Amino acid sequence: MTMNFKDSMIPTIARKEFLHIIHDPRTLMILFLMPVLQLIMFGYALRLEIQNVHIAVIDYSKSKDSRELIDQFKGSAFFHPFFFDGPVDKINDLFKARKARVALIIPQDFDKQLLRDTAVPLQFIIDASDANAATAIRNYCSRVVNDFNVSYNRKIPLPFDIRSSVLFNPDTKSTYFFVPGLVALLLIMISALLTSITITREKETGTMEQILVSPVRPFQIILGKVLPYIFLAFIIGIIILLIGIFLFSVPFEGSVWLLMLLSTLYIITALSLGLMISTIAKTQQIAMMIALITTLLPTIMLSGFIFPIASMPKVLQYISYIIPARFYLLIVRGIILKGSTFMELLQPTLFLAGMSFILLNVAVRKFSTNLEK
Amino acid sequence: MQRIIHMIRKEFRQIFRDKPMVVIIFIAPLIQLFVLSYAITTNVTHIKLTIADFDRSAVSRSIIRDFSHTERFDLIGYTSDIRQIGQEMRAWKTQFALVIPENFSKNLKRKLEPQIQAVVDGVDGNTAGVALGYAQEILSRYGASVMTNPGNSSRNSKRMHLVTMLDRMWYNLNLDSKEYMVPGIVVILLTIIPMMLSAMSLVKEKEIGTLEQLMVTPLRKHQLLIGKIIPFLILSYVEMAVVMNVAILFFHITMNGSFILLAFLSFLYLLTTIGLGIFISTFTNTQQQAMFVAWFFMVFMILMSGFFIPIDNMPQFLKALTYLNPMRYFMYIIRDIFEKGAGLHYLWKDAVPMTVFGLLIITMGVLKFRKRIG
Repeated sequence: MTMNFKDSMIPTIARKEFLHIIHDPRTLMILFLMPVLQLIMFGYALRLEIQNVHIAVIDYSKSKDSRELIDQFKGSAFFHPFFFDGPVDKINDLFKARKARVALIIPQDFDKQLLRDTAVPLQFIIDASDANAATAIRNYCSRVVNDFNVSYNRKIPLPFDIRSSVLFNPDTKSTYFFVPGLVALLLIMISALLTSITITREKETGTMEQILVSPVRPFQIILGKVLPYIFLAFIIGIIILLIGIFLFSVPFEGSVWLLMLLSTLYIITALSLGLMISTIAKTQQIAMMIALITTLLPTIMLSGFIFPIASMPKVLQYISYIIPARFYLLIVRGIILKGSTFMELLQPTLFLAGMSFILLNVAVRKFSTNLEK
Repeated sequence: MQRIIHMIRKEFRQIFRDKPMVVIIFIAPLIQLFVLSYAITTNVTHIKLTIADFDRSAVSRSIIRDFSHTERFDLIGYTSDIRQIGQEMRAWKTQFALVIPENFSKNLKRKLEPQIQAVVDGVDGNTAGVALGYAQEILSRYGASVMTNPGNSSRNSKRMHLVTMLDRMWYNLNLDSKEYMVPGIVVILLTIIPMMLSAMSLVKEKEIGTLEQLMVTPLRKHQLLIGKIIPFLILSYVEMAVVMNVAILFFHITMNGSFILLAFLSFLYLLTTIGLGIFISTFTNTQQQAMFVAWFFMVFMILMSGFFIPIDNMPQFLKALTYLNPMRYFMYIIRDIFEKGAGLHYLWKDAVPMTVFGLLIITMGVLKFRKRIG
């Protein structure tokens, strides 16, 4: 390790790996095009706001009050109410044919009950086959019912006023939430899939033995192999960031330099993960499968990309600590949307740095034992 | 026939020779089953809460108690500096802040309708909306209790008449998201395994040159393809059986529909995924390329299938695009079979386009493959 960088084999290995990458323009094209396409698709498709819920209304009351309630549903952006005359037991068919997701039954004496009683129960039948959507639908229904209650009891207000302010994303747009998150997802997938086969390839094609007889140290080989990919992933990262920010007009609050610096750290973590897989796996096919399994679903499901970590069962919350995207998400969303500073993001940064260190160490060690065999 | 059987035997030997691959094929779905069925919940809880209490009265304390006595909020600290709230949000230390101004209780007693402020981190819009809803609910309940307090008699003479919700959850009483996600995982399996493996196994033969060796054997082209397809069909069914058994026995997923219908419709769907695998293998030259392209198809199909992003939420043009996605139909079919016990009477509208796609794709794949090796 006393050799300086130039004398070592690192640049030579890096050049060789780089040539290998650009010799295959088809892969290179796939590499650049795919993340961009996915970013655009995901960016438009990922919406958690429930919309266009068809609600079947069975109105036995046909009174002024029931009409007012139905108007409240019509007025909200989530619901498309339609009248349903059929008997209550036909609701099952309605749900099976997916023509409605919720049915509201207004009893005959609805208006009289409302005058007489303090609490008037109203039956909502919800198609709960999608449990999450059902929860959301129930919440929206209760919001509409609340609005109805407020306007019906207009004379009795709350004794105090609740003023709410939303910071950083005042319109609570999910695009702003997801576009930076997509950068995290795409970067780790590309990086890990790319490097996962670098060493396995040598094993499979038998060029590993050539390395064996050369005087190069294991860590130099690893470093030489990683360098071109850092460069490549960095460029891909910048492209998807730029497209994401401009196409979806995401406001950029923080420091560009800080984001580039910490993104490089994340890329290194992802590449280290790929390298480690590469030293373990025997064939390219296995390497890619492992890379896919360890990055795609865990990143989508357990990193906070969509689902808040704090709401998960404890076991999964602990598992989320070994997922690099969990920390990068805090960084990329923090810098872009909140203008967070380095000191405010120190904790996730340290986690990422520690993770890269461990992964690289395992990779080098495993690689050395591979060589000795 | 004899030749095809030999070919199938060769394929199976090749698959099972690769022990780590077998482990991946069977273990990975089970891990996914576990993670997915528990991770996916849009039920927001444990929102990190900071409180700025400038009132310091019995009233403010009892509001704080109402907030901290629920699992919806986790009280992580107090602050006496409003500017600190923004700072803590930037460092992801808190998500929600409640500011109770000075003289709040005094003004409440004087009926001056004082203001109470809720500040929320809007980056995760969904969570922000839910958090505000929770806060509204807790505060309204507190407000109502203040008004019905016997000591406060001037206003509660008027009675409120409220509509309350009596909700019935059909098909899934306990709102268990597993019931919805696990059938979805079966779809994912029947996509990944056949598509990825058939594409990669065909490309691998090309890459290492054994495809040419197969070409010079007396094996006919269609025999070669059938020999390639059948092992993956069998493997997919075995895999599906394993996962469904685990799901039903250990995760207690209820299966309300017909297994035979499910197996039959699965076959029609497998035409699509195996067809895609063959198709991918015709225009890629290395395993890496095949992997990347298969990955792209997969992400696209999963995303546009309603697996975890409801199709109803999408903008109109994307919603229209989902009709081109064979997985969309199968996702609906399998969930309706599992949960609603739907029969062909309801499902034919999805089954017909799915079958058309399947036949088209596999014919296209086979034709292209025959041209390439011809």
